[in-house]
Amino acid sequence: MPGLVERVDAYGETTLVVDPARLAEACTHLRDEGRFNFLSDITAVDYLGWGGREVAGYYGTAAGRDLGSQSAQGFARTPAPKPARFAVNYHLLQIPGGEVVRVQVWVDDGQSVPSVIEIWPTADWHEREAYDMMGIPFDGHPNLRRILMEDDWEGHPLRKDYPIGGEPVRFSGAE
Amino acid sequence: MAVRKKQRLADYGLNSERLLMPGKGPGVFERELGDDLEDKLMLTTVAKAVNWAQGHSIWPDTFGLACCAIEMMSIVSSRYDIARFGAEVFRSSPRQADLLIVSGRVAHKMAAPLRQIYDQMLEPKWVIAMGACASSGGMFNNYAILQGVDKIVAVDIHVPGCPPRPEALVEGIVRLQEKIVAGVPPAYEIRGVAS
Amino acid sequence: MAVTERRTIYEGTRIPAPVPTSLHVPAGLADSEDILQVNFGPNHPSTHGVLRLVVDLSGERVVGLRAVIGYLHTGFEKNMEQKTWWKAITYPERIDYVSFQNNELVFVLAIEKLLGIEVPPKATWMRMLLCELNRIHSHLVFLATSALELGAISMFWYGMRERDQVLDLSELVTGMRMHTRYFQAGGLAEDVPRGFDAECRKFVEWMPKAIDEYEAMLTRNEIWLERTRGIGLLSADDAIALGQSGPVLRASGVDWDNRRDQPYLAYPNVDFRVPVYHGGDVYDRYRVRMDEMRESVRIIEQCLDAMPEGPWIADDRKVVLPPRHELHTSMESLIHHFKIVTEGYRVPEGEVYVTIESPRGELGCYVVSDGGPKPWRVKFRAPSFVALEATATCMTDSMIADMIAIVGSLDSVMGEVDR
Repeated sequence: MPGLVERVDAYGETTLVVDPARLAEACTHLRDEGRFNFLSDITAVDYLGWGGREVAGYYGTAAGRDLGSQSAQGFARTPAPKPARFAVNYHLLQIPGGEVVRVQVWVDDGQSVPSVIEIWPTADWHEREAYDMMGIPFDGHPNLRRILMEDDWEGHPLRKDYPIGGEPVRFSGAE
Repeated sequence: MAVRKKQRLADYGLNSERLLMPGKGPGVFERELGDDLEDKLMLTTVAKAVNWAQGHSIWPDTFGLACCAIEMMSIVSSRYDIARFGAEVFRSSPRQADLLIVSGRVAHKMAAPLRQIYDQMLEPKWVIAMGACASSGGMFNNYAILQGVDKIVAVDIHVPGCPPRPEALVEGIVRLQEKIVAGVPPAYEIRGVAS
Repeated sequence: MAVTERRTIYEGTRIPAPVPTSLHVPAGLADSEDILQVNFGPNHPSTHGVLRLVVDLSGERVVGLRAVIGYLHTGFEKNMEQKTWWKAITYPERIDYVSFQNNELVFVLAIEKLLGIEVPPKATWMRMLLCELNRIHSHLVFLATSALELGAISMFWYGMRERDQVLDLSELVTGMRMHTRYFQAGGLAEDVPRGFDAECRKFVEWMPKAIDEYEAMLTRNEIWLERTRGIGLLSADDAIALGQSGPVLRASGVDWDNRRDQPYLAYPNVDFRVPVYHGGDVYDRYRVRMDEMRESVRIIEQCLDAMPEGPWIADDRKVVLPPRHELHTSMESLIHHFKIVTEGYRVPEGEVYVTIESPRGELGCYVVSDGGPKPWRVKFRAPSFVALEATATCMTDSMIADMIAIVGSLDSVMGEVDR
């Protein structure tokens, strides 16, 4: 398969890690030779702070809760670091046939991914959502605009460095 | 002969506040209305008749947003039947509606259309914030959801629940009816905000 | 139920280019005639929720169409990253608020896949039963609202009558009519109460007669046929290219159902038909959903007959809360309870993508875990999001009145579209 970097099998699922520059070639090959004619989903994941962020742990030290220490996070082991900040996952399905595969590309902040809209037209809105929520630009997309947030929104909400927002909750009894 | 000055909402015929908690003191709403209750409430016979008519024929506007909208649809159904309380039809045009039931979570993107619909309604108009999301943002305390629709419109009744049972919404509408019949002005008048 | 013979719905592809999800006014038309741009929504009685469609009309023909979504964007995925796995289960239900059990199910299945936990058979069968009840609920809401929009107003009350019966059953088992939070990682939150079997059997006996009533009202109705036959055509190839699934795909002639082809829960052990029609129009989508309701009733009956006895949740104390009576006597149970409630159970590192057949189509949940007590990323593949992408293709050469029928037949729930 063109552009294949690595193949990972875990939890009964196959992940094909592909070089972003050759993504269009790889996807065309999968659609034509692999008969993966159905693009189920495009998901972008932000791995900023992977394995190192503070998570609510409940281990105390003399100086208070030590959120910086790995054991305070309750992890069984430290997760292995990831190759880049963003992963874009394409979930493909064969109809009929039933084989499922995940194509994964790793990109850094600002790096763009070629669009697969010519291969599977359904990618249109999925890529727009990935752009809106994560800020990953897709080359060759004819209408790359925000889809869920307002058109003039600043920032990309699902990034890990974007705050959750909302209001601080005031509890009436706790003064 | 001394006539007892009408001080409490119960004196104006509002029953449901007192049914469950007889010994309860003045509620938040009564305290908000303050001492000059008589000035704020209309007492003439014509006004009472108008209130009775208005209260018993409130027509809601179709403003269903999310899950609460599905429960709002079921109050129209034959089991809960809101028509027996006077809400005969749901009007799609805000110009023909009296009541805005904000049912569902209001995203910031939707806040402008919500206010526009509210502005297009004619006075007198009432708002019910149905569910936790409309009342306070619900479980979604984040960048996308307006934390309570009373930030942009004046709300008369909040109905808690996620989603509230149809009976709960019907109770909310019934309490609103009692308020109107008793002569309590709509929320925008009490709070002195633009309507 | 006779399935019509395979036939070509239209030649070639009708997917617009370059943007597949919107219709552009052809250049010649834009100059020559009067084009009226009308805005539908986001508050409009005939759109299923807060969908905004910007439509260009040339007389009554639709020549341009653009869908604007995001009016119900709630930030579910970001909120779920802040909560522990247990607390996060309350969020997915509200995404597709009409078929709430299916959303819960897909998220819980994803967690269980990562955990590798064994779910007891009673929980599996009960989950299947509740999801099929939910399918009936969802199709009833579709039927009630779509028929209402097309003018068959009495269907609304018939649909709501049965819908209340379904919600009564849901309340009997779980305590809540909607958004039940009944599925947990490892099984069900509580045991099934006594009396459910009898009530459910009454429903199973009544429901086919109710579906007969609906079909008597609509299926041979001349007005209904006029308004739905030949409207909103979508060929099989276009449907697959546009990522359609569920009733929309099956009405276009593609025989694909995740319950049968990518089985989950106990679907291999029940006998059900997958209705497929070849017309690709609004009428066939309606027929598919009616037939699916009948099949769901059959599945529910088989679940009731085959319901096993036994525990309703797995025994793994690292994930599942211990029974309350043990907390008085066992120190380990107390510690487990404390850790699960405060910190939350830890799910091993990895990523999974689980798909199920929700009433709208292929509902997928992609979960990334970093080994900790909170999800790292949760993404829901919403079938309604994808269904709306097909609006432009279905609306080729349509009139404005057909738009209502088509958007209704795609059965999109805006909570799912915007998440």
